Amino acid sequence: MTMWTAPRNGLQRLFDWKVHGIRWVEIIGLLLVALMVFSVYVAKAGAAREGVRISQLEREISDNGERVHLLRAEVARLEQPGRLEALSRSAGLAPVDVHRRKNEGSLATIAPVPEPRPVIVAPTTAASVEAAAAETPVGPEDGR
Amino acid sequence: MSVHDHHSAYDRPAPGLTPGRRVSPTWRWFAEGIWWVEHAFGRARAHARPEEDARVRIFLILGLFSLVFAGLAVGATHAALMSPRGGGGYATNPNALVRGDLVDRNGALLATNIVHYAFYIDPSEVWDREAAAVQIKRALPAVSSARLRRVLNGDRRLIVMPGLTPAERKRLHALALGGLSFEPEDRRVYPLGTSATHVIGDADTGGRGISGAELAFNDEIRAAGARGVPFALSIDLRVQGVLENELAAAAEANGAKGAVGIITDVQTGEVLGLASWPTSDRLDRVTSAHYEMGSVFKTFTVAAGLDTGQADINTRFDASEAFMIGNRKITDFHAQNRVMTLEEVYLHSSNIGTSRLAIEMGGTVMRDYFTRFGLMDAAPIELKESARPRRPRRWDDSTLASLSFGYGIMITPAQMAAAMGALTNGGRFIPLTLRKGDGTPVRGRQVVSPETSRTLLDLLRLNVVRGSGGFAEAAGLRVGGKTGSANKLVAGHYDPTHAVGTFAAVFPADGPLDARRYSILILIDEPSAWPRTGGYVAAPAVGRIADRIAPFLGVQRRADAWRTALGERIAVPAATDGVVR
Repeated sequence: MTMWTAPRNGLQRLFDWKVHGIRWVEIIGLLLVALMVFSVYVAKAGAAREGVRISQLEREISDNGERVHLLRAEVARLEQPGRLEALSRSAGLAPVDVHRRKNEGSLATIAPVPEPRPVIVAPTTAASVEAAAAETPVGPEDGR
Repeated sequence: MSVHDHHSAYDRPAPGLTPGRRVSPTWRWFAEGIWWVEHAFGRARAHARPEEDARVRIFLILGLFSLVFAGLAVGATHAALMSPRGGGGYATNPNALVRGDLVDRNGALLATNIVHYAFYIDPSEVWDREAAAVQIKRALPAVSSARLRRVLNGDRRLIVMPGLTPAERKRLHALALGGLSFEPEDRRVYPLGTSATHVIGDADTGGRGISGAELAFNDEIRAAGARGVPFALSIDLRVQGVLENELAAAAEANGAKGAVGIITDVQTGEVLGLASWPTSDRLDRVTSAHYEMGSVFKTFTVAAGLDTGQADINTRFDASEAFMIGNRKITDFHAQNRVMTLEEVYLHSSNIGTSRLAIEMGGTVMRDYFTRFGLMDAAPIELKESARPRRPRRWDDSTLASLSFGYGIMITPAQMAAAMGALTNGGRFIPLTLRKGDGTPVRGRQVVSPETSRTLLDLLRLNVVRGSGGFAEAAGLRVGGKTGSANKLVAGHYDPTHAVGTFAAVFPADGPLDARRYSILILIDEPSAWPRTGGYVAAPAVGRIADRIAPFLGVQRRADAWRTALGERIAVPAATDGVVR
């Protein structure tokens, strides 16, 4: 009587591949689990670092927002209408009389645009034209 | 024969590594290392040194654990030494106010929240309490010495002073004393000081509005704060500034007890400026104080007469002698003692003429029109301070006569501004608002015809050109307006030494009825300078204000039928005759 044995295909051979009685498949599985644990640790550590960085940026934004608030309030305090008026009056400034106000369109009437000066051109003689032509350098495309 | 395997059985190469096949040196080194470890036991037995196998394995476990612990140590050291100062958490202010900034229509800041700090001391952490008290007092002079010593000599952490500014906190922090701590708390800050104080109002430390716009728009300001956006008021800070400065100047020049100013856009009802002087007084006189305003009411009487058709501009009224109502004798302040047209009645501010017109119209009509103009109810504005007027109980002839020239009824300046807006925008009564508009036209309620509104605009302008409002003229801005002068009721009788001078103006008075137009109301309460009439105490301020705010509002200087763009006089034709009343 002979026992029936299943054909040993490649997959079974892989499962049967042992070292010191331990299947390599198990060893590889354990290694993969260890790798996954390690990668989760790395990912979580990275996320924690990013979280800290985000918190830091949020804190900076908040601090800068506070500074902006403070500066805007300070600007508003310095620009109080009553304060500006008092400073202007003490500096001898006052609303301009209507007779001294002009819009852009009427600027020409209070300060006319000066006439362009005539350009004085020196009289040109035939001799000077010839002299100028003689002094003109010859370009490379004119060279022979 | 040996019971052990031949050593060559344990020196075989790692499975999968076929000799001659090209693999990377690293992988080869790693595989051989693993294989070497795997065969250590067999090799040790083969070499008759089985203890070496255990050593190798112990060494490996040791190495592995050392590696893990070294990694943990590096991580812990990094976390302890390299982490950002103040911890990794995002510190939020637990006492932050959920309240948006208040800004004017152009975005200028009116109110905001600034983080302040509550100052605490834990005495158990203070080494030298006497020295600490001296240093803290020097760095923070505003702190109460008694409170400081009580906390320092106590036995637990207590608050010393709330509301420290960031600068004060920095000064204390720089002392480097132990036991000092600060807790952030938001405070509502009004950087403009007393400017626009009555319109902005106030909010309590819990972030709830208690007066002014802070109260009126409390829910919306909080909602804006939650969204992180500011809440815009209709106020234009530039206009507000001019109004405040000129109002204060006029009040001081006239030795007044108080003064009121309000500038509105008559087409939208938006309030561009609102000021109550003195600013040290918490009372907002614009919405909460009642005044008998005198002759400015003649505008309403004439408007009612024109709108009902009871009179037209040329209808004539006999003001040649005092008008008797029973035993009461009504006279004119500037008596002309002649028959006058309605236009002249208005320009000469004749009490007799308007009294006759009011009595002719009767109580029902007068009451109807006063109701239409909003004179019988609190001014329609968001401010909770808006007070109801003091209305007449009877509407007999004597009361009608008084009402026709602004006595017998006490209204708030805000009511007057709303009514003047209705008469100068084509006849639409538009509620005043402190909410910045979006530029869309406001319909309003039609209270007089557009023709009546046109006639009144002309009359108001004429009153500045030829009547009692001459001091309100601003070159090229076509200012129109009506003066009002009233004596106050003191100890049961009207006392001429306690007067109220008013000027209700609009500019520019010409152009289409739906053109951009602005109303200015100035009221001087109890001026001590003489004369105390509105034409002298209030009208000049109106002229100066119009002159200064016109560029901000985009009003161009132009000539009209009576004045050039630079304010020079132009000759005008004479008026025509009409029916004598």
